[in-house]
Amino acid sequence: MKFERNQSVESSVPTASMADIAFLLLIFFMTTTIFKMEDGLPVTLPRAETAQKQKREKIMHIWIDAAGDISINDKLVRIPQIQDILVAALSERPDLIVAFNADDRAPYGIVSDVMDQLKEANAIRVSFTSDPKKPGVPRRRY
Amino acid sequence: MKKLKAKSRPTTEISAASMSDIAFLLLIFFLVTTIFALEMGIPLVLPGKQSTSVKVKRKNILEVKAYPNGAVTVGDRQVPLSQVRPMVERELAANPKLIVVIKTHPDAEYGLMVDILDELKLARCTRIALKTLNTE
Repeated sequence: MKFERNQSVESSVPTASMADIAFLLLIFFMTTTIFKMEDGLPVTLPRAETAQKQKREKIMHIWIDAAGDISINDKLVRIPQIQDILVAALSERPDLIVAFNADDRAPYGIVSDVMDQLKEANAIRVSFTSDPKKPGVPRRRY
Repeated sequence: MKKLKAKSRPTTEISAASMSDIAFLLLIFFLVTTIFALEMGIPLVLPGKQSTSVKVKRKNILEVKAYPNGAVTVGDRQVPLSQVRPMVERELAANPKLIVVIKTHPDAEYGLMVDILDELKLARCTRIALKTLNTE
């Protein structure tokens, strides 16, 4: 009598559809990702050669437009409110850098008043956000 | 009689086994090369609330003033903006302890102050103070 050989069960995982899964995930995340953007105010930043890179995670933006309106965290604020906002932000992050995203044509008096609020709140690290400028390019005015 | 052999057709299949490798390769390539928009700015440390005021000798201070009409004065001489850097460099060479104070008129444009600050940084000036010009 002939014995039939034991048939071993095949045990392979089909990998042909792996690429489809990878692309599907890729496309899903590409289409659903929304980057959180702070709206701020429309400003034309001043240009500077000596600007340095700032660490994003440490930065809190203060937007000041040409008319002198001030916006922090997507909210329009008045100057006396700034100190409280900063004290709260500093208690969360003591190494906070306050970035001035101020318009080129904003009156300096407003910037100066905001800076006084920063001093009161002890937010001493500031950065004047600027666009890069190529050396040797003449200035627009003055 | 000879048995007819079935014609063997050439297979017309694209191998899909390496597709996932390609997908992951692209994924990793873009993961590594993506750069998020950088923040560029001129850093400055302000005097805090607790900081005590220090008396500074007059000769160690150089005042740079900015006016609403875009005029800039270094010391007491009105100069074009392009002259600020060489003048400050000269003063710094003569006195390394020099503190440059930018006095900006409240109605002057913020951009002018940043321009002056930029020039001072280019002149390798490290001691910079910001003040508001008295309007009286």
